Amino acid sequence: MEQNNSLPPFQGLASPQGAMTPGMPIFSPMMPYGSGLTPQPVTNTNSLSLLEEQQRQQQQQASSQQAGVPGGLGQTPQLYHSQTVTTTTLPGNTPLYTATPLTPMTPITPATPASESSGIVPQLQNIVSTVNLGCKLDLKTIALRARNAEYNPKRFAAVIMRIREPRTTALIFSSGKMVCTGAKSEEQSRLAARKYARVVQKLGFPAKFLDFKIQNMVGSCDVKFPIRLEGLVLTHQQFSSRPNFFPYFSSYEPELFPGLIYRMIKPRIVLLIFVSGKVVLTGAKVRGEIYEAFENIYPILKGFRKTT
Amino acid sequence: MASTSRGDGLALPKVQCPNHPDAMLVEDYRAGDMICPECGLVVGDRVIDVGSEWRTFTNEKATKDPSRVGDAQNPLLNGGDLTTMISKGTGAASFDEFGNSKYQNRRTMSSSDRAMLNAFKEITTMADRINLPRNIIDRTNNLFKQVYEQKSLKGRANDAIASACLYIACRQEGVPRTFKEICAVSRISKKEIGRCFKLILKALETSVDLITTGDFMSRFCSNLGLPKQVQMAATYIARKAVEQDLVPGRSPISVAAAAIYMASQASAEKKTQKEIGDIAGVADVTIRQSYRLIYPRAADLFPPDFKFDTPVDKLPQL
Repeated sequence: MEQNNSLPPFQGLASPQGAMTPGMPIFSPMMPYGSGLTPQPVTNTNSLSLLEEQQRQQQQQASSQQAGVPGGLGQTPQLYHSQTVTTTTLPGNTPLYTATPLTPMTPITPATPASESSGIVPQLQNIVSTVNLGCKLDLKTIALRARNAEYNPKRFAAVIMRIREPRTTALIFSSGKMVCTGAKSEEQSRLAARKYARVVQKLGFPAKFLDFKIQNMVGSCDVKFPIRLEGLVLTHQQFSSRPNFFPYFSSYEPELFPGLIYRMIKPRIVLLIFVSGKVVLTGAKVRGEIYEAFENIYPILKGFRKTT
Repeated sequence: MASTSRGDGLALPKVQCPNHPDAMLVEDYRAGDMICPECGLVVGDRVIDVGSEWRTFTNEKATKDPSRVGDAQNPLLNGGDLTTMISKGTGAASFDEFGNSKYQNRRTMSSSDRAMLNAFKEITTMADRINLPRNIIDRTNNLFKQVYEQKSLKGRANDAIASACLYIACRQEGVPRTFKEICAVSRISKKEIGRCFKLILKALETSVDLITTGDFMSRFCSNLGLPKQVQMAATYIARKAVEQDLVPGRSPISVAAAAIYMASQASAEKKTQKEIGDIAGVADVTIRQSYRLIYPRAADLFPPDFKFDTPVDKLPQL
């Protein structure tokens, strides 16, 4: 599958057979989970049975068509039937990410010419989300009875709880609100938040799961060539007097921070760009913003490639 | 009258020679005239002399300065108030029965600008400590006034804003000071100055040029007491190192410090890394790191006409 080959680093899951496909990259750009343009249906259950259903359906209909995958791989995120799965893979899965028109696919962006595709996909490193458990909590009870919980009221007014799978940390406040950090994907963050809510529930509080919202997503990637930051900051500095393509504020102060801080307006993302070519993107509420921001910055970075 | 005024009533009437409106008028203070240099026409006569009435010498034990003009006005900065105030009384009648002076209203001179005046004083104090010239101080005051009037950074400590304005002014004048140098004369931490710096740039919608290694060479070298040859060599080394991209991602200060180290070690005046680190405000491990990066190409980095006291291959290798 040429698709898989050109998306190398994004296989977070073990491939059971090491077969042709290196596992099922759930959240590749081919399946933009919540690209911000169309609301994705989110199943509220973590039940695996639903997953098996979906996968079996896909296998039947995947008659090895590679339909609809255009040349520009990073470019045209097509809406597939979003797999709201968790971390497990099922044995014997074929690449679920061949185009199976299970649901009507709407290409979000028209296929741009292949010369502009970067072929690099930013990987999500951290997701911060909040949820309201809907009841007041007694932090001392939670800290005493739960495992992996620490509570130091003099330092901070919340219980810090950690779970191993998915590896996340949660701050649980006495008002019942909770912040969950450290997950690597949206679904993992939701799953982790549900796990914390279950822990709290088991301790005897009437916990609910209200208003789960992802507050921040952090992604990183590597453009694989060194970048001339001084050139970039010179041309993208002025606020409004020099109408550049991206008239916004980029700030590079080597005394303060070794990376260039680029504040993109649309989408509203902050990028940290380093000399080595590594780029960190943060401030996104949905995954598509990170991809969009990276696609926007990639041609600019190519223009400031170091030639030595 | 030979004075002409411009069409709009808002502009002050400018005196011009009617035949040569572009000519700069020469002032003849003895006669109180303004004379056109092209044709010799006396354009404005009986011009009032705004100099001081008489000269006062500090040697004379003049308890009272007979000058009837006050301090030089600073209209740009203080809102240009021409207010007057009643001074302390001198005669016996100005004291009431307890010995207190009767008229006591000497406060609240300029209440709204009190903080600004304080900040100006602080700026002047800070600038004096590092011997900054008057033009930088004036620029700093202007920047501070702009920021203060905008009120977008009202919550921040005035000292922090003043320090950041000082940093920006030095940058804008082409003689940047490192954050650490500003920290040394201010009570604010480097982090806070850096934050205020970014906020001010955003608020005033200006930008500053990137720092280069050459900006600091003359200051660091003369603080270390290195001769001009060594300074020129160090400048050359640092510039070449950056051009050849031997030190990607390193702060220009560190590169400058490493270049000074290399140049001084190759000359008769050898300085240790610790000394250079103290002057430049970089840690000596940082100098070591940057030095290791430029050491392999040391031979090309030196200027062609440099006289080596220690040849290139004998340079210390860390």
